[in-house]
Amino acid sequence: MRISRVRLINFANFSNIDIETDESIVIVGENKVGKSNFIRGLQLILDPGLSERDRHLGLEHFWDGLSANKVGETVEISVDLMNFTDDPRLMAHLNDCVIDPGPPMVARLTYRFQPKAGLGRAPESLKDYEYVIFGGNDPEMRVGGLLRRMLPIDVQVALRDAEKDLASWRNSPLRPLIEDLAASLDDEAREEIQDQIDEAHRELADHDEVVATSERISERLMAIAGKQHAVPLSLGLAPTRVDALLRSLRLLIDNGVRGVGDASLGTANLIFLALKSLELDRLVFDGERDHTFFVVEEPEAHLHPHVQRLIYRYFLGSEEVGEVKLPMTTVLTTHSPHISSVAPIRSIVLLRHNAADGKTVAVSTAKAPFTQRDEDDLQRYIDVTRGEIFFSRGVILVEGDAERFLVPAFAEALDISLDMLGITVCSVGGTNFTPYVKLLGPGGLDIPHVILTDRDPIDGRVPLVRRRLINLLDVVGDELDHGNMDTDEVIELAESYGYFVNEDTLEPELFASGLADAMQEVIGRELRLAKNAQITLQQWVDDPDHVNKEKLLKWIERIGKGRFAQSLASSVSEDVCPDYIRSALEHIRDVVA
Amino acid sequence: MWSRSVSTAYLAQAAELAGNPGQLAAYNSQGHCVVLAGPGSGKTKTLVLKLARILAEDVQAPRGAACITYSHECARELNRRLEVLGLRETPNLFIGTVHGFCLRHLLMPYGRLADLPIQFPLSVASQRVRNRLIRQSGDRLFGPNHPYKEIDLGRHRRSVLNRNSVDWRSEEELAAWAEAYEAALRQEGLIDYDDMVIFGHRLIAEHDWVLPLVQAKFPVLAIDEYQDLGVALHCIVKRLVFEGGVRLFAVGDADQSIYGFTGADGSLLMELAAREDIEPVRLQMNYRSCAGIVSASEMALGEIRGYRANDPTRQATIEFVPRPGGLSDQAAHAVAQIIPAALASKPGRTLGDIAILYKDYRAGDVMTEAVAAGGFDYIRVDNSAPYRKVALTSWVEDCASWCAGGWRIGRPQLRGLIDRYLAFYRANLDDAQARREGQELTALLWRLRNDQQPARDFVASLRDGIVDRLLAAELVLADQKEQLDRMTEALAEGGVLAKLDITSLGGRDGSPDHLNLLTLHSAKGCEYDVVIMVGLDLGNLPWLNESPEKLRESRRLFYVGLTRARDEVHMLYSGYVEGRYGPMYRGRSPFLNELEQRMRAAGF
Repeated sequence: MRISRVRLINFANFSNIDIETDESIVIVGENKVGKSNFIRGLQLILDPGLSERDRHLGLEHFWDGLSANKVGETVEISVDLMNFTDDPRLMAHLNDCVIDPGPPMVARLTYRFQPKAGLGRAPESLKDYEYVIFGGNDPEMRVGGLLRRMLPIDVQVALRDAEKDLASWRNSPLRPLIEDLAASLDDEAREEIQDQIDEAHRELADHDEVVATSERISERLMAIAGKQHAVPLSLGLAPTRVDALLRSLRLLIDNGVRGVGDASLGTANLIFLALKSLELDRLVFDGERDHTFFVVEEPEAHLHPHVQRLIYRYFLGSEEVGEVKLPMTTVLTTHSPHISSVAPIRSIVLLRHNAADGKTVAVSTAKAPFTQRDEDDLQRYIDVTRGEIFFSRGVILVEGDAERFLVPAFAEALDISLDMLGITVCSVGGTNFTPYVKLLGPGGLDIPHVILTDRDPIDGRVPLVRRRLINLLDVVGDELDHGNMDTDEVIELAESYGYFVNEDTLEPELFASGLADAMQEVIGRELRLAKNAQITLQQWVDDPDHVNKEKLLKWIERIGKGRFAQSLASSVSEDVCPDYIRSALEHIRDVVA
Repeated sequence: MWSRSVSTAYLAQAAELAGNPGQLAAYNSQGHCVVLAGPGSGKTKTLVLKLARILAEDVQAPRGAACITYSHECARELNRRLEVLGLRETPNLFIGTVHGFCLRHLLMPYGRLADLPIQFPLSVASQRVRNRLIRQSGDRLFGPNHPYKEIDLGRHRRSVLNRNSVDWRSEEELAAWAEAYEAALRQEGLIDYDDMVIFGHRLIAEHDWVLPLVQAKFPVLAIDEYQDLGVALHCIVKRLVFEGGVRLFAVGDADQSIYGFTGADGSLLMELAAREDIEPVRLQMNYRSCAGIVSASEMALGEIRGYRANDPTRQATIEFVPRPGGLSDQAAHAVAQIIPAALASKPGRTLGDIAILYKDYRAGDVMTEAVAAGGFDYIRVDNSAPYRKVALTSWVEDCASWCAGGWRIGRPQLRGLIDRYLAFYRANLDDAQARREGQELTALLWRLRNDQQPARDFVASLRDGIVDRLLAAELVLADQKEQLDRMTEALAEGGVLAKLDITSLGGRDGSPDHLNLLTLHSAKGCEYDVVIMVGLDLGNLPWLNESPEKLRESRRLFYVGLTRARDEVHMLYSGYVEGRYGPMYRGRSPFLNELEQRMRAAGF
């Protein structure tokens, strides 16, 4: 079973969001944007641990944008569920909740905090409010506690005190495991353990030094109270009953030298999550649950990036343990690009603050128009740096490393602060922009973006950029027939979408725009050019119109385009910025601001 | 972990099945099972134990079982027996009529999704509105005093499920009438009882996606009195069981099928029992009647069934009693002779152990008059009873029973009363709401405990305190409210039940101090030491010139009457019936002739 859609109306940061979701959910967003409130919304419907009081909201839970007009409004949160038809127990739970017989069959659960039915007047305060949780489209079809107990949401909060939870027996996720262990011991094993303990106890207690100490205490006791009142004393281990002993088992780290309390925060967290996941296995196995909505808030807390990625992969992959698919839906929140970079591309739910309306808006990738190839492409190429785009307010998509290093330099020269504006420069490693445009476009994350790409002219033929741009224009749903347009018409049209093209390729463009001297210097520094070559280069610098582009590019490629660009970056200034780069930067700046 | 709602009390009772291979086979059945159960063969006990076992061993909440039976009274009896086993109606155990099942578990959750042409939320027409619309639509089509009968209208709607079929058009006037009446109902945003089943059937028949949903919720479907349930339920059952993978446990007796006029058909049960994929089980031991009555009733039926009496030593009394003075003479004889003798003949026997059975309410009037004149208290169950038994009136009666002293012994159980009350809400209540309602009801009932008070006051307090609010909120209960109003009216000053006290209201069925007066149809499922059947004359049972099919049903009705008796059967006749133009001398019922002949031949 999975969540297929979530709606939040008038709740916390959310005025009205409605998103479709995929198999698992990774909620990405800046601090304070409402990631935890999103989870809280799900809890209002699904958490068996919330009390009636918890579900009776306060004014502070209404969307702030309602300002003074909160009383009278209704808070509503609903979650749609799918893929439950192969399990009759889930079908039985959700029987009265179906809103679409499908296929695929869809069930809906709704929490609503509203003025009391039959009030007969406008509500005056929240005393006139009630909450209902119902299934399907009929508010009378109330959902009871059984459903929440059997299909609970289980939230691991962000800054959990793993160490404390592990230390207290009552809350410890270790407890059920130990109890299972105790139950699995047969009489013989118990007797054996008891014997060993007794023996160890005897040995310790009979040790000369131990006996001597206990005698010292006894003597003093007698000196104080006299023989009549003093009780016989000895030193020993406590406790010695097998069950009590088992309960006193603790997790140890570093070959048993230290307790979890001495572990780093990260390690304690890791251990806690491991125990928690074991507990989930057990609950399902014992039939105490039919499904778990397992939420880990910010699993990256206190962990190294590579461990973050491992944990993430585990929890998204762990639905299948061997052949058995655990009945679990994973929901993670994060602001780590490390995590979002390994998230299944369709799992991303992006929360973004809309300053103009004072509300958080949400978009998701679940229904973005990816082909399987797009999906594979993105999954493969989105790494940590590209993972940043999920947190961006604007994205500049470029072909390669050269642009990735130079564009920020030009931005700085133009006094456009990319970091301050939240704009990321993302290299797609080639010219296949299509999957990225789908990801960032209105069908996906809806993040403003521009593209910088080369014209790539070919002698006597149509430049490559024409096909490239037409592919993109087709994706963004341009209704025009691009087949009849010539290259320049296509480029002009593309510019209105924020796709900017140069006259040739980046490096010759830079050479022509006034960076010839600087480029000569870098090449001279990096390559040991022959005398003739040095002369040729000097001729080009003197007359940039006659540069041999192929040869120039060949030299730069010998240095490495990225390395070359990095070296060149320090030389850029406003004056030498190629027009298409300037246009793109100004375009994205204006859109984001 | 949630606590199991199932106790293991059934295990102790199940041990008693050991001596009865049929009951044991049914109890141990794993797949589809049809139990063909003779009179007094312990079919309800078998059904209840099997249900308890299924709930304890085979299904686990939220999945459960639905148990459908013929009437609210049957459902109430099942509830009562299940309560003894520590089971009660819960979200995963439905016990009720086919109408209740279709309404709550088909139309309410899925009706909207299937776009059924009815208005949601559902609102059920009261009897008064229904009667008005039936009359108006009929008069409009055919003029006043037209020859078509309402009962045939109902039968036609219930028994011809395919509205596009030749069968539907074959009775053209009924089809037109039905369509006009239904249109009038929809106009007012209403459905009636038959609609519940008609649309329930349509939902099941036309929408494949409903099957797995029902199967998920109710992997087991138990049906009691299968022979009395119509073709619509039969189709629902077949589709759920053979296409939806629901497990069937059906109980019935085709010989006791007496509701043909409503569209019921005993052969449907036999059709199921004959299937390869169903295990048929026959219960042949009769725990009720003594040997003489068991044999005599088989002779009356004219079929060999191989039924045996559990205790062959008990002596039967079977008497053919001619009373030349007609029905009132029969009544007078029963009151003056048979009843006093029956009371005297066995120590401890009370009026509650005796029943007078008759064909219809007109005969009931005659009996009532004589019984009242004779100074006996009585309970009367027929169409002219002051109110019909519906879930709501039954619940009010049971509340009375609890307040009149039942609370001391926990019978009925308060928890059960609360659950049944909550079930009146048309949809699920959430836990907090349910708790509040339950507490309120408990407080009210606690306050109303009083062994001696007029039933009128009790019902008024109950309505004031809680029931009227429920009725205001739940339009679906409109028809049941009507029956409660009639109960209230009957209890009012000058009403026919004005003198009733709370104890009698609570004990309205099965009170030891009241003689039972009821129609043969209402007697189904009941048993009495002494059964007095009156009006056994040709022209009454059977009518003159009945079709062979009708004649067979009349014979079964006679058979049902006979098999109600434990010890004594008295068959009263006069040799004539009162017709519209005076007495018609056609002799006594041919069933009596046959029976007497066969008994003589068998050496009785």
